[in-house]
Amino acid sequence: MMTKTDPPLIECTGLGKSYETIEAVSELGFELEESESASILGPSGCGKSTLLRLIAGLDVPDRGCVSLYGKEISTPQRMLPPEKRRFGMVFQDFALFPHMSVGANIAYGVRGSKAEKKKRVGELLDLISMPHLAGQMPHQLSGGEQQRVAVARSLAPRPRLILLDEPFSNLDYQLRVQLRRDIRDILRQQGVASLLVTHDQNEAITFSERMLLMNRGRLVQNGKPSEIYRYPKTLWAARFVGEANQLKVHHVEGNSQTPLGILHFAKISSDAAASMMIRPEEIHLQPPEKGFPGGSIVSIEFAGPVQNLVVRLDSGEDLRVATSPKRIWTEGESVSVVPEHFQCYDDSGERLDDEADLTPPT
Amino acid sequence: MRILSSNFFALLLVGVFAVPALSLFLMALDAETEIWAHLSSTVFPVYLRNSLLLLVGVGAGTLMLGVVSGFLTALFEFPGRRWLEWMLMLPMAMPAYILAMVYLELLEYSGTLQSALRDFFSWKTPADYWFPEIASIGGAVLMLSLVLYPYVYLLSRNAFQQQSPVFTEAGRLLGDRTRYGLWKIALPMARPAVAVGVSLALMEALADFGTVQLFSVPTFTTGIYHIWFGTANAPAAAQLSLSLLGFVGLLIALERFSRRQQRFHGKASSLRRSERRPLPNRYVPLAQFFCLLPVFLGFFLPGWMLLHWSWQSFSSWNAGRFISDASNSLLLAGITSLLALAVAMLLNFGIRLPNRKMLKGASRLASLGYAFPGPVIALGVLMPLSWFDQHFNQWLNAEGQTGTYWLSGTIFVLIYAYLIRFLALAQGSVESGMASITPQIEDSGRMLGSPQGKVLRDLYLPMLRGSLWTGGLLVFVDVMKELPATLMLQPFNTSTLATRAFAYASEEMLKEAAPWCLAIVMTGLLPVIMLNRKLRSSAIPVDTSHRLMPVPPESQLQPA
Repeated sequence: MMTKTDPPLIECTGLGKSYETIEAVSELGFELEESESASILGPSGCGKSTLLRLIAGLDVPDRGCVSLYGKEISTPQRMLPPEKRRFGMVFQDFALFPHMSVGANIAYGVRGSKAEKKKRVGELLDLISMPHLAGQMPHQLSGGEQQRVAVARSLAPRPRLILLDEPFSNLDYQLRVQLRRDIRDILRQQGVASLLVTHDQNEAITFSERMLLMNRGRLVQNGKPSEIYRYPKTLWAARFVGEANQLKVHHVEGNSQTPLGILHFAKISSDAAASMMIRPEEIHLQPPEKGFPGGSIVSIEFAGPVQNLVVRLDSGEDLRVATSPKRIWTEGESVSVVPEHFQCYDDSGERLDDEADLTPPT
Repeated sequence: MRILSSNFFALLLVGVFAVPALSLFLMALDAETEIWAHLSSTVFPVYLRNSLLLLVGVGAGTLMLGVVSGFLTALFEFPGRRWLEWMLMLPMAMPAYILAMVYLELLEYSGTLQSALRDFFSWKTPADYWFPEIASIGGAVLMLSLVLYPYVYLLSRNAFQQQSPVFTEAGRLLGDRTRYGLWKIALPMARPAVAVGVSLALMEALADFGTVQLFSVPTFTTGIYHIWFGTANAPAAAQLSLSLLGFVGLLIALERFSRRQQRFHGKASSLRRSERRPLPNRYVPLAQFFCLLPVFLGFFLPGWMLLHWSWQSFSSWNAGRFISDASNSLLLAGITSLLALAVAMLLNFGIRLPNRKMLKGASRLASLGYAFPGPVIALGVLMPLSWFDQHFNQWLNAEGQTGTYWLSGTIFVLIYAYLIRFLALAQGSVESGMASITPQIEDSGRMLGSPQGKVLRDLYLPMLRGSLWTGGLLVFVDVMKELPATLMLQPFNTSTLATRAFAYASEEMLKEAAPWCLAIVMTGLLPVIMLNRKLRSSAIPVDTSHRLMPVPPESQLQPA
C-alpha cells in the first residue's frame, strides 16, 4: 500500500498552455495516484484534450510542470519524449495502423522476443474477448471492435497510465454504454491508472472514481463524482453536471426570502446568498398542505423510471421536478413542494460553505 | 527531423525556388529600353498573335474532342465503350513534339503520303495539286489538341459520371423536352470541371516548344530559345519570359476562378450515380467513330509509324548512342524523382509540425514551379548559376587557378531546373497520401514507445508507399519527356533521348529518330496504365442509394 509521503503517479502544478491568444489551459493543478481512474469533464473547447496532450508529452507547456513520481517530465524547458513515458493513449478515431493486422497493431508497442510478443497479443485478445481476430485488418472490424483493439494496443506495453481522449464519442449510443463498462472493468482488472477526457457527464460519472471538472482552461472542481453532483462548487458546475433549478434570493427587511421559504444559515450571514440551487429529484411533491409552498403541475413527461414534471409555484417560478412514477400526477393538479437538499451560492456563483435551513413562508 | 524545427529549411527552400524567378525579374529590368522597343516592333506582335491563335485553337480542339468523348463514354452504353474508355487516355503518353515529328514525316511534301499521291496521280510539282501545309499554326493546333484533349476528357467524364440522374429527371419533369437535358443541365453542371481541364491543356500548349519549333511557328517559347542561343541577349530573353509568364498567370487565374464554383458539381456525387443508357443503334457507329478518331490519330497511327520506322532503320541503328542517351535520361529522371520525393516528404512532414507558417508558404511557392514553361525555367536557373561560376572563376584566377563551368555546365543545372518544374507533381502525390494519415496515427506510434525516426519507418513510409510510387513515376516520366529546358541546359556533348530525337528531327532525319521516340512513348505509357488502374478501382459502382432512400426499390433487393 502506498503511504502518504510517496509522490503521486502524476502531479500537475501551475500548468498553462496558450494557442496564439487563447489560453487553452491555465493555472491547472491536480494529482493522480497509482491505479486511480479519473475523468476530465468539460464542455468542448475547455482545454481538456490539451491537458491530456500535455500529460502525454505530445505538447509542450508554456508554464508549470507535469511530474511523474515527483520527477519533472514536462516543463517549458525540458520534455521527456512521449515514447519514454510508458503511457498508453486511446483516441477518438481509434488511430489503428491501417496497414497492420490486429495482432501486429497490438504487438507494435511490446518489446521483447517474438514469442513474448505473441504471448502478450494472445493475452490481450482474450482480455477484449476477440481471440479469433488477430489476423484481421482494422478496416474489416466494426467501430466498437476497433476501439477494443485500440485499448488492447495501448495496454500491451504494460503502461503506468492510460490516457483516453473521448474514446467513445464516435460510437452509437448502445455500443457506447456497453463498451464504456467493458473498458472500465478491463482497466480496473489490470490495475492501471487512467485519465478519461469526455464532454459527456454520464460517461464521466460512471467511468471513474474521481472527476476533474474543467471550464475555460481552468479546474473548476476536483472530487468524487457523487460529491461534485451533490455539492457543485459553482452554479456553472451545478448546471453542467446534471439538471439544476436555480431560484433567486431576495433580501427583504433582514430576511433572505426565496420562493420556497426563508433561508437561515448556521455560521454565516444570510446576506451573502444570491441564489439557491436544487436538483429536480431533490424536490418532494405532496398533496396541498398548509405551511408548505404551493404550486400546480403544468406539464408531465413520462420517461420510464422517472416522471419529469414542471411545477409552477404560486409565486410564478417554474421548477423542474423528477419523481418516481409510482405516484401518477395529472396536469393542473395542485401540489405542495418540499425541498429536501439544496445549495446556496453568492452573487459570483460560488457555493456558500454552510448548510442552510428553510422555514416555510408564512 | 531537427532540420525542420528551425525555419532554416523553409528559408532555404524559398531561396532555391525564388532565385530563378527573381533573377528573371532583375535581368528583365536590366534591359535597355531600345531592346524592348525593338522587340515590340518586330517579333513581339508575331509571338502574341501566334500564342493567341494557339490558345484559341487548342481550346476549341480539346473542348470538342474531350467533352464529346467524355459525354459519350460516361452516360451511354454502346459496343466498344469499355475499350474506348481507357484507350481515350493513350495519347497522354505521346509528347506533342513526337507527334509533330511523325506527322511531319508523313504529310510533308517529301513525306510518305504526298509522295504516294504524286506517284499515283503522276503529279509533278506542288503546283499540280493542293495539299494542306502541316508545318503551320493549324498543324500545331491539331498536334497539341490530339495529345492534350485527355485532360478535358478525364475531367469531363468524371463530372458527367458524378451527375446524378436526379437532375436530368427533374429537368424532364419540369418540361425540358431534350432527352438528356444536355444543353440546360448536363453541360452547365460539368462546366467547372471542363474549364479546369481546358485551362490545364492551355497551360501545356503555352509551354510547348517542340511542336512549334518543328513547324516553324514562332511563339514566346521558341523566341526565348532563339534569343538565348542566337544573340545571348539575356535581358531580352528575360523580357519575353516575363510576358509568357503573364499569359500563364492569366490562365491560372482563370482556372482558380472556375474552380471556385466546382462545389456544385462535386456535391452530386453523394447522390445516385448515373446508370448508362443504351445508345440508339443508329448513333452507335457515329459515337464509335468519334471516340476512336482521336485515339487513332493521337496514338495508334503515330505509334505504329514509330514501330515501323524503327524496324526499317534497325540495321543502321546506332545502339551505342541510344544506350548512352537512354542512360542519361534514366539517370536524370531517377535522380530528379528521388530528390523531388525527398523534398516533398520533408515539406509535408514539416507542415505537420506546429507553428510552421513559413514552411506552409514555402511549400505553396514551391509548387508554383509547375506553371513555368521549360525555356523560362532554364533561363531563370542558368543566369544565377553562370553568374556564380563567373565570379567564382574570377576569384580562382586571382588565386592563380583555372576555372570551369562549375554549376552551369553540369547536370546540376538540369536537375535544378527539373526539380523546380516538377516538384509540384511529387508534392501533390505525397500531400494526398498524407491527408489520409491522421496526426493521431503518429501520436499513437509515439505513445507506444517509438521515437520519430521509427514512426517514420514503421508507419509513414509503408502507408505512403503508393503515393510515393505515383509521385516518383510522374516526375520520372515528365523528366524523360522534357525537351526545351534540356536543350538549353544540357552539358556539352551530352544528350538525352528527347534531345537526340529532336536533333535528328531538326536535321530531317525523322525516321532515324524513331527508336528514341519509341522509348519515350513507352515510358510515357506507365503513368497512363497506372491512372487507368486507379480509375478502374474507384469506378467500381459503389451504390449508396439505399442509404438515402427510406425504402429500397425492389431492383436493389435482388442480388446482383
